[in-house]
Amino acid sequence: MPILDQGYQHWTGTLSGHAWRWLAITRHGVRIGMKGRFLRIAIMVSWLPAIILALALSMWGFVERKSAYVMPVVDFLVEAGLLDRRVAADPIYYRVDVWTICYDNFFVTELWLSMILIAMVGPSLISQDLRFNALPLYFSRPLRRIDYFVGKLGIIATFVGMVTVIPALIAYVLGLLFSLDITIVRDTFPLLLSCIAYGVVISVSAGLFMLALSSLSRNSRYIALSWIVICCVGFLVAFFLNEEDQSQRERRRARTPARAVSVQPQSPEQAQKDRLAAEAYQKALEDAQAEEVRANKTNWRWLVSYADNLTRVGQQLLGTEACWEKLSELRSPNDRERFMLNHAGPRYPWYWSAAVLAGIFGLSVCILNFRVKSLDRLR
Amino acid sequence: MPCPRGCCMLFQLEGVTKTYGHITALNNLSVSVPSGAIGLLGPNGSGKTTMIRTLLGLISVDRGSGEVLGMDFRRRQLDIRRQVGFAPEDECLFPRVVGVEFVSYAGELVGMSSKDAMQRAHEVLDYVELGEARYRMVDTYSTGMKQRLKLASAIVHDPKLLILDEPTNGMDPAGREEVLQLSRDLAHNKGMSLLFSSHLLPDVEAVCEYVVVLGAGKVLTQGNIQQLKQVHKQCFEVRLKAEMGPFAHRLAALGCRTEMRDDVLLVQVPDERSPQMLWETAAQQREQIRYLRPQRSTLEEVFLKAVEQP
Repeated sequence: MPILDQGYQHWTGTLSGHAWRWLAITRHGVRIGMKGRFLRIAIMVSWLPAIILALALSMWGFVERKSAYVMPVVDFLVEAGLLDRRVAADPIYYRVDVWTICYDNFFVTELWLSMILIAMVGPSLISQDLRFNALPLYFSRPLRRIDYFVGKLGIIATFVGMVTVIPALIAYVLGLLFSLDITIVRDTFPLLLSCIAYGVVISVSAGLFMLALSSLSRNSRYIALSWIVICCVGFLVAFFLNEEDQSQRERRRARTPARAVSVQPQSPEQAQKDRLAAEAYQKALEDAQAEEVRANKTNWRWLVSYADNLTRVGQQLLGTEACWEKLSELRSPNDRERFMLNHAGPRYPWYWSAAVLAGIFGLSVCILNFRVKSLDRLR
Repeated sequence: MPCPRGCCMLFQLEGVTKTYGHITALNNLSVSVPSGAIGLLGPNGSGKTTMIRTLLGLISVDRGSGEVLGMDFRRRQLDIRRQVGFAPEDECLFPRVVGVEFVSYAGELVGMSSKDAMQRAHEVLDYVELGEARYRMVDTYSTGMKQRLKLASAIVHDPKLLILDEPTNGMDPAGREEVLQLSRDLAHNKGMSLLFSSHLLPDVEAVCEYVVVLGAGKVLTQGNIQQLKQVHKQCFEVRLKAEMGPFAHRLAALGCRTEMRDDVLLVQVPDERSPQMLWETAAQQREQIRYLRPQRSTLEEVFLKAVEQP
């Protein structure tokens, strides 16, 4: 029994406008999500790559300033062949490239961690509302369906942002602070915008995809399982397709003529034969590499993997390929393509991946439109 | 927002038609209802829920126009829903929350700030007597508690109009009485207009003073309950001190129609005779009339009569 029972009192406060109504859904979803211990642990684990990124950018700041703290390490890396001498000699010239490659590696790691986070947060977002019949509670309030979807998407975007954009921003600020050079803002600001844009792409694409999956069942475990299957199986299929393609090329290369071994003393005819054989061998090697480069630029197999499509679009946004090309100029002309093959990853046209993501986006919108209906219907 | 015409109508619909495929849910429905506690009656499939959804602007009608709280329901749906509280019929919950979060979230969805919504959630949970259960997960609540929780979430923003769709469905008598009492209190003591949809006539009668009866998507009858429960001028309820059998026989011999209902004798006096004949007959038989009053229709009779209309 309350000590003072006032009964029903009228409320005289003011209600906010409609524009930010979705924020209530996002705020509520994040609050509920953060109650989960495993999710909190997963977020903290996801920050580890961000710590490494921040350390790398800060270290590069020291390298640019030729700080005595890091020069022994730089010398060691140069001696070990892990860092090119010309890069170490003029680090400011390679600043943007190093930063971009650091961010690219960070995002590749964080993308997979984001997929795990989304698998933890996303499945229940709509499926639980369907299970507990919460949609009438939402739609009988001053809320449109678009507010509902944006609010739910905002939950996923918040968690993805917590492990991608926000750590990227913090690392950026730390990198600025340790470089003590104002020109770094001019050089790297587009990279910062690219990071934000990439975070938005991941959030919107993966978030909407997960929401669509979440609307397909009332049991969130099935959704989580489907998400894991889509991400992992897609990746594995793409990986094995690539392995198969690679081994086919290896087999073709094995059929190229072996280099002739000459025995002393040799006649002028034999020397001529050896020279021709060596030229044929060299040409075969060049052809094989050219074919590999061609194959890498038209390799559609990664399109099967959802995460790799995001990675490819991310590389385009960050401009990673251009950075690797700049670094490849430090190599001999013959070695450049091999360097690019080893470091730049798949180089098929990025808009293929963008088209795949756009298709998934459209499909997700259709599923959501079909599964989450307004109350304008019979029971 | 005040009614632009200065009227005091809670809502009015003009020629509203809504079809779902070949099913006509609302059939050229025209209704005008004053503020207060309104009962919405009708058999299953009569269009009650569709009418409620129309009032909330949740559906697009095929034809017709109307206003709710002075606002056009076709254009200002969101504004209407800001000023209306709605507790749906079905069991529906926001998942994975405790009671106070449930109500607070409902407030935030209407546009209250987090702080206001939380404070208000505590107040209304106390009001609906769920204060003790406010920190329990809502999926552990009983049916009655869930109904009161829905009521709390519907009134958290202090709406001008509260719409309750079958609020006593599946409840035990005690829980039902609690919900009725809360609804009555809100409508009669707190100045909140109420639209109470139910097929349980005693519930409507216990809470509302005005009723709209729907059937096949049309208004069959509407009006003040006391006025609808009309007085039958030639019908009387009679109770005697002694046995009523002989008295009933005597009246029947005089041309009256009689019927025993519980401990009351219903007597229909012929049109050409006056009620005075009841006193005269009792005096002749040396009986004492202890109770005599004109018969009134029950709400059930009003409802059945309306529904049975061709």
